[in-house]
Amino acid sequence: MKKRIVAVLLSGCMVASLLAGCGGKKDDAAAGSTAADSGSGDGYHFEVVVKSFQSTYWQAAIQGMDQAKDELGITYNATGPNAESDIADQVNMLNNAINANPDGIALAACDQSAVLDSLQTALDKKIPVVCFDTTVPDAPEGSVYSNVVTDNGGAGAIAGEKLYEAVKDQLGKGTVRVGEVNQDATAANITERGMGFINKFKELAEADSYKVAVIGNDYYVGKVENNAAEADADIIIEVAVPAQTTVDLCTTEASNIMNKDDTIAIFGSNQVSAEGVLAANANLNVLGDKILAAGFDAGTAQKAAVKDGTLLGSVTQSPLMMGKGAIETLAKICDGEDVEMDQPTDAAWYDADNMDDADIAPNLYD
Amino acid sequence: MADNTVKTTVKKESFINKMGGQKFIVLLVAIALFLVFCAASPGYRKTTTFITILDFSYYIILMGIGVTFPLITAGVDLSIGTGMVCYALVGGWLIRFHDCPTGIAMLVCVLFGMAIGVLNGFLVAIMELPPFLATLCTCMITRGIGSVIVGGFGIPWPTAGADNAWYRNIFKLTDGSTIIPIGLVWMIVIVVIMSFVLNHTKIGRYTIAIGSNKEATRLSGVNVRFYHILAYVICGFFAGAASISYAAVVPTVQPGTGAGFELEAIGGAIIGGVSMSGGVGSVAGTFAGVFVIVLLKTGLPFVGLTANWQQIITGLVLIGAVLIDIIKTKREQIK
Amino acid sequence: MGEVILTMKEIDKSFPGVHALDHVNLEVRKGEVHALMGENGAGKSTLMKVLTGIYSKDSGTITFEGKEVDFHSAKEAQDAGIVIVHQELNMLGHLTVAQNIFIGREFKKGLRIDDKKMNEEAKKLFDRMNIDIDPKETMSKLTVGKQQMCEIAKAISHDAKVIVFDEPSAALTETEIDELFKIIRDLREKDLGIVYISHRMDEIKVITDRVTVMRDGSYVGTLITKDSTKDDIINMMVGRVIYEDPKTESMVPEDAPVVLKVEHLKAGHMVNDVSFELHRGEILGFSGLMGAGRTETARAIFGADQIESGDIYVNGKKVTIKSPSDAVANGIGYLSEDRKRYGIVVDKTVAENTTMACMENFMNGIFIDKKKEREIAQKYVDDLATKTPSVDQLVVNLSGGNQQKVVIAKWLTRNSDILIFDEPTRGIDVGAKSEIYKLMNQLAADGKAIIMISSEMTEILRMSDRIVVMCEGKKTGEIGIAEATQENIMNMATREIE
Repeated sequence: MKKRIVAVLLSGCMVASLLAGCGGKKDDAAAGSTAADSGSGDGYHFEVVVKSFQSTYWQAAIQGMDQAKDELGITYNATGPNAESDIADQVNMLNNAINANPDGIALAACDQSAVLDSLQTALDKKIPVVCFDTTVPDAPEGSVYSNVVTDNGGAGAIAGEKLYEAVKDQLGKGTVRVGEVNQDATAANITERGMGFINKFKELAEADSYKVAVIGNDYYVGKVENNAAEADADIIIEVAVPAQTTVDLCTTEASNIMNKDDTIAIFGSNQVSAEGVLAANANLNVLGDKILAAGFDAGTAQKAAVKDGTLLGSVTQSPLMMGKGAIETLAKICDGEDVEMDQPTDAAWYDADNMDDADIAPNLYD
Repeated sequence: MADNTVKTTVKKESFINKMGGQKFIVLLVAIALFLVFCAASPGYRKTTTFITILDFSYYIILMGIGVTFPLITAGVDLSIGTGMVCYALVGGWLIRFHDCPTGIAMLVCVLFGMAIGVLNGFLVAIMELPPFLATLCTCMITRGIGSVIVGGFGIPWPTAGADNAWYRNIFKLTDGSTIIPIGLVWMIVIVVIMSFVLNHTKIGRYTIAIGSNKEATRLSGVNVRFYHILAYVICGFFAGAASISYAAVVPTVQPGTGAGFELEAIGGAIIGGVSMSGGVGSVAGTFAGVFVIVLLKTGLPFVGLTANWQQIITGLVLIGAVLIDIIKTKREQIK
Repeated sequence: MGEVILTMKEIDKSFPGVHALDHVNLEVRKGEVHALMGENGAGKSTLMKVLTGIYSKDSGTITFEGKEVDFHSAKEAQDAGIVIVHQELNMLGHLTVAQNIFIGREFKKGLRIDDKKMNEEAKKLFDRMNIDIDPKETMSKLTVGKQQMCEIAKAISHDAKVIVFDEPSAALTETEIDELFKIIRDLREKDLGIVYISHRMDEIKVITDRVTVMRDGSYVGTLITKDSTKDDIINMMVGRVIYEDPKTESMVPEDAPVVLKVEHLKAGHMVNDVSFELHRGEILGFSGLMGAGRTETARAIFGADQIESGDIYVNGKKVTIKSPSDAVANGIGYLSEDRKRYGIVVDKTVAENTTMACMENFMNGIFIDKKKEREIAQKYVDDLATKTPSVDQLVVNLSGGNQQKVVIAKWLTRNSDILIFDEPTRGIDVGAKSEIYKLMNQLAADGKAIIMISSEMTEILRMSDRIVVMCEGKKTGEIGIAEATQENIMNMATREIE
């Protein structure tokens, strides 16, 4: 009897959470399509599926889409799961988007393999799909018309270049250490960024005939070519990856590196790890002075740190440009124009000087 | 001869027991870990590192102290991790978007925590849901509520130096380059207070009684439901308090996170001698147990171990810590 | 006997599908010990739960001190002065004795609980009762007997006017029972009304003034104890004469082979140099006080506790027993004193429990042969006359006596030739007790060898062919049934060692 009550309650809970989930989606959808009614009657309608509404990053993407919407006179409807890990939810949303028979779909896939069936359906129904932020490499031939994504390797290289220039004068006076905190060693965008930074920094240093050794996390070390031995290196690049992707663990990894006497620079390759660097600095108080640091993406804490010089600067992707680009590309496809398969959007360096510029500021979400 | 051996063993045991039994062992383990890490890593020896460790230990300590109460009633509260993040989100949202004074936002955090505690207590004590199930549900609910209220976006609390950032001074006083981790003092004060509550007040007495034998306690005329709920409210209160210390150290509170924090708190409590079958536990033990977890989490990266090894070692040390207790209990049984 | 203090009249109570109480009456006077008797399931406990507000009655009236009352919780009843000493669920093992006694009404000093005062008050209470228990001791560290004493002390400390004892002696040794009776007589002197629930006929004769008998939820009648015989009461309870005649001499043939020989067994400090022999067809009684080491000896032989030294021979062959499975392999079965904890799995069926000790005989490949399992279970249900609607019944729904039969069936299925019965009739009512006795005699006659640990002197004297007496972990005597008397056994059980 008791067991049955529990079972009933449990299923009740599930139904409730399902309903709650549905309600949430509707709200999200409403948020995305505000003022869409003003679009002209013969404008196209697109469905947009983002990875989540979990970070302000996606808010900036929506902002870009709104710009495109106003300029082109189209309408769109944006949905996304609660968290980037809710893969099944996102697939559902994508299927719903396909069933709505829009003129096109813009997709930022949470999981690159889970969406393959849905993309096939879209292809069958002749609905063009544009991927933004993240590509789907194994997508059925012809389903994805274009990829509007950040050049992550290039973005990491920007940070590498800027940091190298800033610490250049300190080189050659004994071994120095440069740290890099990466949230994980699995996601493609994070590893590309991490390697972009390492390769650029190494290239520039080697051009000035310094020996560079990369140590730390096995995955990153394994991808480095012509790695010098740690013992006779002029520059050691230490790559740290926390056991879990939480701020506290990123902080620990960062403070480990920042505590070493020979450390002169550190790079946090996404918002969480950059904030880990900042949290470590809250007690160490070495950034901007003994150690120069670069971050990635934005958020209030990072923006404040860039402004007051704690961070040398940070790299912003352009979620705004990606959102805008995705909609524009869809519109072009509908107009019958040919579009490039790969449309990399550039990342941009921002620091205290340029962060209020018109082409940077909109990308710097809170 | 035989008499002598018996006597010496009795003496030895009473020494450890006098020092607090398992609490004492765990404290020794924590100190040993700390010393090992200090010896192995110059970076770890610095006071700044120690302060960073403390910064990221307060919320786990607070959650651990809170969850000790449901654990002693033979229950558990899985909602504290996501709950804590949820309260921090709501508090930050009030400050940022509604010009709410920080003090009021902090109060809201704590009250929200207690409200979820009442809900947990209601489900467990009145509706008689298994605590694991009930709090797993509220775990999901709080995770969702947090995201819904803030609209899915990360929320930073006022950063250091801002006008309304005085709350950071609760945990850390900064005077130029010297930093005083005053939070540690508060933690010790709280441990003393809650030890008193657990050992010398009706609330604590009935919490232990419920975990010991709920039906017998009821038949003794104790308002079991009230005190059972109260255990969860205490837990919720501390989850709320933890959210403030969490917001004070984390640059941005991200919705959807927090799952897993409760396991660090519960793990710490169990290492500290709280029995999952109820009736046994101490606040001081939980305090020491949480430190073991925190030290492992922070120390292993410093001695040069990469992520995978950190997890392997953490698992092994935890098994060891729990085994000490089991071996000890078995020895007592043989006697 | 003084004036009437409590009257329960025409109490009626139904649970879904069960008419638990059918217009039951009970009258208790000041200064009387009133026995409430009946087989398990007769409704005694239900009646007491109605009295103390744990259950609400469907109809009928309760008059207490001249006023009609209707309690809604144990606390209300307690506050009014009606307290029950529960048979089970009675202690909070993790708290101290004093904390247990004063749970729910702690002394306070401001916010703080005044443990010091509680310890003092508990001490006074124990002094008054003439028992020696440290109020600061953790409850779970006390013996069952001492725990029971604490429970009684708790009841007394409530300023009770009526105290209900629910089988208080079930777990007590003879000495402890004597102490208990002294306390009860003392309470009677003080004009309290006492309801005494017990299965032990001897006790009823010794301690009670009147007896109310219940059967199947109905009121049968009330007798004055001293004017009635044991048989009168038993007849009212079950309507049939029971109990086999006590043994006066050993039933074991002179030449019966030794099936179990234990030499210099040592295990912990509760089993110290114990040696004895057990013959085929013999019932060997193990007598002694609580804590004499009898159960520990049994557990060591069964491999449940580690053996430190000493030898065990089964059928003349030396065996090594390191675990219960070793013991089971050597044909030893153990029926624990605590059935619910060690003997049966209460929420499994009769059939599942029956085959639990030898699953491998009921496997068909990797599957359990349900049909075979049910067949064998049915066989033993028939052989042992276990009262169960079917072998698919959950064991939790059976009475204590029938649960015990399921445990016996379990070991018989395993073909165990040596059976250790630890307190075989604890918590079992008179009718079922007689059946268990008959069954044990039958098993012995069939060539099984039985060790019977019992704290009931009458049981020891009634059943044993030979008696081993233990005290403080040592064997202090061995005596044939022909020579055994209550006195010489007690003598050996309290013998000073060395």
